[in-house]
Amino acid sequence: MSMTSDWAIETVGLSKTFGSRLAVEDLTLQVPRGEVLAFLGPNGAGKTTTTRILAGMIAPSGGRATVSGLEVDRQPELLHERIGLLTETPGFYEWMSARDNLLFFARFYPIPAQENVDRLLHSMDLWDRRNDRVGSFSKGMKQRLALARAMLHAPEVLFLDEPTAGLDPEAARDVRALIGQLQEEGRTIFLCSHNLEEAEELADRIALFRTRLVALDSPAALRVRLFRRTLLVELENPCLMLLEAAQRVSGVQDVSLDGNRLTVHLLDFERDRPLLVSALVEEGAAIRSVFEEQHSLEEIYLSLLADEPNKLAPVVDKERRKR
Amino acid sequence: MKGRLRLRNVLWKEWKGLLASTSSLLMVTLIPVVIVAQILFVIFLVSRLVSPDALAASPLGNGLAQLLAGRPELAALPLGQQFQVYLYLQLPLYLLLIPMMVANMLSTFSIIEEKQTRTLEPLLATPVRTGELLLGKALAGALPAVLMTWVSAALCLAGIAVIGPSSLLGFVLTPSWLVSLLLLAPLVTLLSFLLGVIGSSRAADSKGAQNFALVEVLPFLALVAAQVLGVLSLSPWALLAVSAGLALLDFLFLRLAISLFRRESILVSWR
Repeated sequence: MSMTSDWAIETVGLSKTFGSRLAVEDLTLQVPRGEVLAFLGPNGAGKTTTTRILAGMIAPSGGRATVSGLEVDRQPELLHERIGLLTETPGFYEWMSARDNLLFFARFYPIPAQENVDRLLHSMDLWDRRNDRVGSFSKGMKQRLALARAMLHAPEVLFLDEPTAGLDPEAARDVRALIGQLQEEGRTIFLCSHNLEEAEELADRIALFRTRLVALDSPAALRVRLFRRTLLVELENPCLMLLEAAQRVSGVQDVSLDGNRLTVHLLDFERDRPLLVSALVEEGAAIRSVFEEQHSLEEIYLSLLADEPNKLAPVVDKERRKR
Repeated sequence: MKGRLRLRNVLWKEWKGLLASTSSLLMVTLIPVVIVAQILFVIFLVSRLVSPDALAASPLGNGLAQLLAGRPELAALPLGQQFQVYLYLQLPLYLLLIPMMVANMLSTFSIIEEKQTRTLEPLLATPVRTGELLLGKALAGALPAVLMTWVSAALCLAGIAVIGPSSLLGFVLTPSWLVSLLLLAPLVTLLSFLLGVIGSSRAADSKGAQNFALVEVLPFLALVAAQVLGVLSLSPWALLAVSAGLALLDFLFLRLAISLFRRESILVSWR
């Protein structure tokens, strides 16, 4: 099977097993350059394992993967010069200053270490604390420092594993803003998360993952794929007559009245919506608002995963039996 | 060239950590001082309180007889001083305990620290190679350990002069001393460090790692005992041969440490 370097990330039939446990199964996906892909899934779904394989940290058991044009299990050192990794826990030498920590990591790359470190300390708003021990930093500051570390060598592809996990809302907002900046710079970002709001805010596409790829598309496309489009009409004067008027419109598939709200499914949403509104107005309806029902990413997530067998279950059962 | 820079970077961080940690510094400096003080105190007591005839009748007499056979010039000394020289000549081997213990503690700590602070994953995500990382850590611990061994040896020589008579120094400073300090000490240190690294990458905690590395001390102590009791007499040539063997062991254990330092199992199983 051909593997081209047109994609920032490309996997074909990627799999990983630990003993008898299957962690990643037959993962095939392509991520174009400059895209932010949110890799979503519940705890234990194999997100971190996938990230580690793609970052050249552990070897796949089967299939192939290229990142930035390099096969992930062939030249890890070269791969590491092209990618940045934000690990789930920041991991710093707490007795060292922020600047020395970054300098230590920067010196492994063929880059002007001091210049890059100082620039990133400024851009992450950590310059004033550069000489302070990392042990004295808040979680949010450590996370910004970890992002700076991942960015030291201006990598083409960034793997961010739960970048806002455990942060307070303000720190999480700051980190999201920084990720937004990286996105604007055109970097490819593989965002591993189970924070749905974050994924919706930052990602171009969502990969829903539980051991295997469950769905891969933009949030809007996933909505359309999963849910029928529903029109909601809020009335000042709800009555049976208006319900009957709606039922008479030719494009209406089904309609119900609940309180002052009509819930309508249409054959052709764009074509039939104005027809329905006209019919209601003609029947004397006082319409307060007309809008399409919005499904949250959480609904999409829960809906898709509800149909997905939990691959972890057999392992849990096996462990229980051992006990 | 890149590799050397990365190795230097690992050394820089490790030494910075050593200097920043009061407990590590105390450990590196106190252990040698305690060992040296203990040795000199025992020799002082033996030379002052035990009669030479009693020593000659003890198992040590056999060792002294072997020494005199190899170095007849010592026969001109009084029996008490012969025993002093004999005991002083055991010091170089005994001093090797210092780098063993210091290197062992530093190595296990340096790997365990990466576990505890969760710095290993971001570290392994850089272009550093496993060999550079392990060799950097090994050298970072080995160099201070060797330095402290030499400092201890200097303290020992000063102690010999103080206990007196200082003329005995001429009999003590033999080629064996030099081979032991300049060749054996660095090689033993590196071996200790590599065993510590291997132990750390396989064991679940620092205690397990240190226990693993300390197995090296047992054959060494047997060697010291054999020499003290005169069962074995290590000539400078024998020490050179031991050094060559140790150099080979160091190389093999470095390869083993690299192959056992499996990034995947460490990342996946370390908690």
